[in-house]
Amino acid sequence: MGPLSREAWAQRLGAFRGSPSAFMAGPEGESLGRDLLRDLRSEKLSEQTKVSLLALSMEFPDQLWPDAAEAEAAATSLLDTLHLLSPRPSVLRRPLLLAATAALVAGGALGPTSGASARLLPLLLGLAAGRDGDGVFGSASEQRLLQATAWECLRELESCRPGLLGGCLGLLRGLLGREGPVQPLSLLLALALRNGLVIRARAGASLGGLLTGSDFPTGGGPHTHPWDWTLAEEGDGRLQPQAPSCPAAEDGGRGLAALETSPEEVRELRATLAQLLDICYLLTPVAQAQLLWLLGWGLQGLRGQPPALFKPQLVRLLGTGQLALLHAVLALKAAFGEALFTAQDEALLLHRLTAAAQHPALPAPTHLFYLHCLLNFPENSPLGPSDEEGPPLLLGAQLCQGLLPSLLQEPMTLLAHLHLLCMLCADDGEEEGKGRVQGLRCYLEKVLAGLRQRASLAAGPRASATLCFRASYLVAACLAGQPTVLTSLTQGLAQLYQCRPALAPHFVDLLNSVGPELREPLRVALRQEVVLGTGSDGALRWHLQMLAKVAGRDGQSTTLRFLQGAAAHCSDWALQQALLQVCRSLLRDGVAGGLADLLQMLAGHLKDPDGRDHARLYYLLLAHLSETKLGMALGPSLTAPALASSLVAENQGFAAALTVQEAPPALRLSVGPRRLEGPSPVLQLLLEPLKPLYSLELRFHVGGQVYRPLDAVYVPCLLPGRPARPLLLPLQPRRPAPTRLEVSALYTTPTGRTCHAHLPPLQVKFEDLFLPFPSPPEDTGSRFFEELWASCLPKGTESRVWCPLGPEGLEALVSRRLGPFVVVAQSPDSYCVAIHLPPTSRLLLRLGPAQEDGVSVALLTDDWTVLPLAGDYLRGLSEAA
Amino acid sequence: MAQRAVWLVSHEPRTPACGTVRFSRRYPTVEKRAKVFNGASYVPIPEDGPLLNALLFELGLLDTDKDFVESRDSCARINKTSVYGLRLGGDELWPVVAFLKNGLIYASLPLVEQTLSPRPSLINNSGISQAFELLFGVQDFLYSSQKSDAELNTKLGQLPDLLLQTCPFGTLLDANLQSSLDNINVSSMTQPPKQPAWKTGTYKGKPHVSISILEKVKSMQYDKRDLADLWQVIGTVICKCDLEGIMPNVTISLSLPTNGSPLQDILVHPCVTSLDSAVLTSTSIDAADDSAFSGPYKFPLTPPSEAFNLCYYTSQVPVPPILGFYQMQEEEVQLKITVNLKLHESVKNNFEFCEAHIPFYNRGPITHVEYKVSFGQLEVLREKSLMIWTIGQKFPKSMAITLSGIITFGTKNPEKQPFDQICIGGTAYVKLHFKILDYTLTGCYADQHSVQVFASGKPKISTHRKLISSDYYIWNSKAPAPVAYGSLLL
Repeated sequence: MGPLSREAWAQRLGAFRGSPSAFMAGPEGESLGRDLLRDLRSEKLSEQTKVSLLALSMEFPDQLWPDAAEAEAAATSLLDTLHLLSPRPSVLRRPLLLAATAALVAGGALGPTSGASARLLPLLLGLAAGRDGDGVFGSASEQRLLQATAWECLRELESCRPGLLGGCLGLLRGLLGREGPVQPLSLLLALALRNGLVIRARAGASLGGLLTGSDFPTGGGPHTHPWDWTLAEEGDGRLQPQAPSCPAAEDGGRGLAALETSPEEVRELRATLAQLLDICYLLTPVAQAQLLWLLGWGLQGLRGQPPALFKPQLVRLLGTGQLALLHAVLALKAAFGEALFTAQDEALLLHRLTAAAQHPALPAPTHLFYLHCLLNFPENSPLGPSDEEGPPLLLGAQLCQGLLPSLLQEPMTLLAHLHLLCMLCADDGEEEGKGRVQGLRCYLEKVLAGLRQRASLAAGPRASATLCFRASYLVAACLAGQPTVLTSLTQGLAQLYQCRPALAPHFVDLLNSVGPELREPLRVALRQEVVLGTGSDGALRWHLQMLAKVAGRDGQSTTLRFLQGAAAHCSDWALQQALLQVCRSLLRDGVAGGLADLLQMLAGHLKDPDGRDHARLYYLLLAHLSETKLGMALGPSLTAPALASSLVAENQGFAAALTVQEAPPALRLSVGPRRLEGPSPVLQLLLEPLKPLYSLELRFHVGGQVYRPLDAVYVPCLLPGRPARPLLLPLQPRRPAPTRLEVSALYTTPTGRTCHAHLPPLQVKFEDLFLPFPSPPEDTGSRFFEELWASCLPKGTESRVWCPLGPEGLEALVSRRLGPFVVVAQSPDSYCVAIHLPPTSRLLLRLGPAQEDGVSVALLTDDWTVLPLAGDYLRGLSEAA
Repeated sequence: MAQRAVWLVSHEPRTPACGTVRFSRRYPTVEKRAKVFNGASYVPIPEDGPLLNALLFELGLLDTDKDFVESRDSCARINKTSVYGLRLGGDELWPVVAFLKNGLIYASLPLVEQTLSPRPSLINNSGISQAFELLFGVQDFLYSSQKSDAELNTKLGQLPDLLLQTCPFGTLLDANLQSSLDNINVSSMTQPPKQPAWKTGTYKGKPHVSISILEKVKSMQYDKRDLADLWQVIGTVICKCDLEGIMPNVTISLSLPTNGSPLQDILVHPCVTSLDSAVLTSTSIDAADDSAFSGPYKFPLTPPSEAFNLCYYTSQVPVPPILGFYQMQEEEVQLKITVNLKLHESVKNNFEFCEAHIPFYNRGPITHVEYKVSFGQLEVLREKSLMIWTIGQKFPKSMAITLSGIITFGTKNPEKQPFDQICIGGTAYVKLHFKILDYTLTGCYADQHSVQVFASGKPKISTHRKLISSDYYIWNSKAPAPVAYGSLLL
């Protein structure tokens, strides 16, 4: 196929971006990566189209070339395309470099054995250092443009393969401040330095000449020697966090102390750090932040590098409101603590943060992030546990005034500020603060009242109701120990329900979410609120939903009276179901008295047959089940997963009681000694219950068609500690072969639940199928055996097996293992054994005479399929002893 | 500190999907690292379709808020920062930094360089602030001087190239996209080694420094004995320095007259090289702190090429520029209102415009108005239930003006008349809109002599000042009004 047109590519790229996975699964998916590489060299496509192709390969290399080999080939092709470009200025060089880098890394092809890596790395370094040897990049002005790109590619490669540039630290240092763009170079130097130090420290090695070598890692020049992978190999491909978020757990931080450094190296290091920090100002704010995170955490714990190095930067950084910069200062604070920030510095930082968290010139997301930082502030001497949110000690309530909630704020801001207010209210420490806390609590109540008023508006959006309930939840969670706050909250919420019963789902959700401190009083208040009404208003549906949650044993007479009154207004199915739902929850809570009358009335009078049936069922359950069983039957199921649908959830507990539950095995089952009874082989089963089981039914299943299906075995009752009679399970083989029985148990627990459990499978061994022939009259054994032998011979199979003997000797072995089947015994040296293998096979053995370590056995059978089984059996005879 | 992906989604209410992904960019090399760092807790990035849905759901922007949905509306789901976990099947994609602004959702997913369970704290993740910077940068680029949808589309079309420039591998190099765009267009890229990364190209031409001070004043006035009125000035100083040389040094000073109000909470641009400690510590949050520093406020800096916000400040002036009271009372079917406004004598009585908006929420259309104004004109927007009192350019000599009236309303039509959650019953406000040129309320100014330039040539220096109102409310004193904690005289 020839190159695609611009339109065809535009369409293809659009389709791919719509859904990459669907496109790749489609007919064009397979060839996309190949076509793309080919058409990059097409002369018919414009550079703009090619740039869009390269953009795709930068973003989705892992889809286009998923494995390392493909990625390697793609990177090679991209590099070839780069070399094929004419010396004219071109917009393709930059994206080609980026795409080749992305393809190598994303495909996992970057490494010492990769040819593309070996080409790309020196090329990038040469470009970056301004020493393009082979003149690929024509004009000098374009080279300068590409210089920054090359540095960025190298930084990405170093990020994905730490230690990669360990060999050129000296070179980077030399270039810094002399040549080229300062930002990418300093960021790469900081990263490579940090990575190199961590790798060396982990290996417990010294710094070596890491900082002083000043030439290309390839030796003489960009292309003369292979790339130096030593440090990257030492690093073992292990990724290094560039800004460890969990400093204590990082071996990078503390591990640096293990680095052996000579005084000169310490000096060199300090000089490099100082150089990097000096030019920090020249970087863009986001890059400054990156550098500070990298140096702050990266060099923490390094000997001879005082945190005071950072000090000259701090005033400048604290003056800005730039998020990235203040965040970086916080990182330095967390890394060095008191060593960098005195108590006064800490107070200043807190003041700046607090001001920034409410500064009207900054956007709301920034405010909220600063507030988060304040509540998780890395204090010099924290009082509480460090993972708990709370205002820092130095930030008194006085300073937080501007961070308190107001009804005019956006919901998220309001909640964040409300949270802070709750935390301030919870703090009833020293005496002099009491008045202020009292004032804050008053204010809290005002805010909550305002939120409730907004939520009570019938035309209000759901968001205002959601906000009100979230605020109530926050208050209940933070101030659970403050009864006065909770009392007024309860009253306020009860009033809100009175104003707007349609919020019932929110109330149910709140009751489900809050702790008992609020749940119990609120439940009682809401129940009273509901049952004091007549039940005749339009909100009956909500009242019933509410009541199903809050009704209980307390105040049952008023509840029942309300329900009785409401029943008359339950005209449609949904309302009747809601009414029955309340009855059900009353049943579950063990309300009996008047409930039976109500149910009986409902069973007779409800218009909908479904409703009548339900009522009758509840009545029957109430009449026939004990209270605990009722609770069990109607209570929520513990094993079933919680389903979101209320329809399903509603019946879960009830259904659980009436259907079979999957359960872990509640008894142990094993095969006992062999018994020869009746015309077929029998397995003796020993039962050992782990808990009381009733109406136990054991079901057996044999795979394949080897045996006839087995009947289930019933046991009325099994109690732990009380011996159970062994069970006999008759087997009906269709062929004489060992097998495995799958076993499952169905039983009822003392609580009335029916459970089903899979038990470990049982093994039926070959010898379990042995049956004796009817014993011949006395003294005719020998003739009987010879006749059997002769009758088998015509179509039988004969064989001879060496049966090793253990220390016990032949006689003991035979009597223990083969006793019932011996027809002729010329003790101690020869035995004739006849075994009937159901359904119709025979196995005849002649043993002896016994020799020193075994006995030779001649065997004859009319079923050749049992020969290998018999052979195995005989060879294993003595082992089983 | 890198980003795994970034998205721009337009929020389109009342359409089937409620939104469209306008731009997305994934960073495969960062994703590779995320897989290793996150280990078993790694959640891959979904394709744009599922992401759109999950994002809109999490931000509560799908149109389906008719019924209570526990997974969205539950009271226990509380977000206190703009960082979300998006639910995708059984997994949760976290931390997605996202916010909605002007109908566009800006979202980014920073790399977390450790396992995600248990969830690490946000404060310890540098990627979070980098994500915010990236998104703010995109937002500034899209909305700086952008007027129409067509312009927005053009700018969205430029985004892929710009991000290739400023964020090629997911690690942000510069949040100032506009300057990067200029950078692409600068043909001669002769960058000397000591040139700051945030300064593109060099200026050639006559030296010129321009300084504009814009002050906004906001206020909440209650006219109640137990509530304190609040007001605050927020200043922004915008500079543009056209100066030759790589790193010209400039010092800009802001001065106050003797009776001026001290500047507080000063936040400076990162190009400011050093700060006086008095500038750093002067803050409004500590009422006990009376160590007011009244300048001059010196800002030594190396200016970037483009216009920049040198600093922001707040200030507490002794009196609000216009003091007002508003009384509204319901009398049977009518509303009786009185509004009094008084311009403070110290304020320059020369407005570009001055209006008082008097809205009536949660009521029907205005059917009848009888009114009397001592000054200016009253315009009545009947359908919108709004009255606009145009005061004009000057207050009269007495500096005090009055409006009184009796208003009758028709039956409410929720489609046409505005609904408000706060203005219920008697709760109501008058909102003032005004602008005064060549004036600042604090008195803050920058003059010819306040700018020192250490570069060749004497620059022309131009300065501008203006004051505008923003959120200037006068609440009905006859009914409850929303209060901030600072208003409670305890």
